[in-house]
Amino acid sequence: MNVKNFLIDALTSALELGLATPDDVMKHVTPEILGTSLPRPLWSRLLIACLGAPKVDAQLVIETVGVQNLCEHVPAPIIFTIVASVAVRTLGGIVPDRPVRTFDSAAAAAPLRATTPLNLSAPPPPEARAERSTPPPPPGPSIPTPSTTPDPDADDASKLPLRARTPTGQRFRQTNTNIGRLASSTRRPQASAGAAEPSTPPKRRAETEVEEVVEEGAKTSDDWRSSLAVEDDQLVDWSASEETQTSTEERKR
Amino acid sequence: MSQEQRQQWFQRMMESGLEHNMFVPADVLQHATPDVLASNLPPELLSKVLAASLAAGSMTPERVLETVTPEVLAKHLPHDVLWACIAAAAARAGVSTT
Repeated sequence: MNVKNFLIDALTSALELGLATPDDVMKHVTPEILGTSLPRPLWSRLLIACLGAPKVDAQLVIETVGVQNLCEHVPAPIIFTIVASVAVRTLGGIVPDRPVRTFDSAAAAAPLRATTPLNLSAPPPPEARAERSTPPPPPGPSIPTPSTTPDPDADDASKLPLRARTPTGQRFRQTNTNIGRLASSTRRPQASAGAAEPSTPPKRRAETEVEEVVEEGAKTSDDWRSSLAVEDDQLVDWSASEETQTSTEERKR
Repeated sequence: MSQEQRQQWFQRMMESGLEHNMFVPADVLQHATPDVLASNLPPELLSKVLAASLAAGSMTPERVLETVTPEVLAKHLPHDVLWACIAAAAARAGVSTT
């Protein structure tokens, strides 16, 4: 992480775009701070420039020292204070003092998970949220962040100990692609298999054909994407063939 | 100050933050949540994000930001969301007390 380069870019672009002025910089980078931060050669250059200029102002100081040297020698928190003050002004004074509505990637889909550990810090205290004046309206439905500490003002139900999170997959209706069925080992309810009765009766297989079906099933479980085209009717046939297999075994007995 | 200048500034800050590892795409998506993206990005960009992810086989924060570039972020997302991302990165880096 190179904070100084980021601050150089942020402050330089703010000055170039006219969002920040040299006076904004000098409000925070006071002569006292420059006195303790700038190295002597830079001070020498600054003194020479000031002595030779008809008017000494913030612009002269910033131009002489340079944003890069400022960010290099002045403590980063002070430079960031300048950037933050510009941001507050450009955003109309409404700036969240801390991240709001952060995305809990742990609760999201697995492919969206970050490759680096996410900073799941504790939620801000209620006082900090109360201080925020007229936060921007959320653009969509907000999902509350799961809280690990019970709210003392909440009702009795929320005071109960936190229970383990239930799998999210059960909250949604399964699609007819049957991806979850192929991924899991649970069998499909027989009732639905009976409801979807094929128009033609399933062809009874010979004993050798049963092994082929098993191998095909193994292939499709390896490449689940190709199984997206499998329809429910075909899956019913599969279970029907299982019954056929059972009946064949029973016949053997 | 104009809206365009503010947009350019936030674009530059987002570019620089990613370039200098102040924050990574996953950090950006902690603030530019799917909810925020879905509410602010135009349909063609949303479909582009999805198409890129489908072509690659997965949707990662890095892949999302390949389409939703800093320019797009600054153009379409509320700037207070982007600033929250920057401020959080500054706090992690120890240059901000907030």
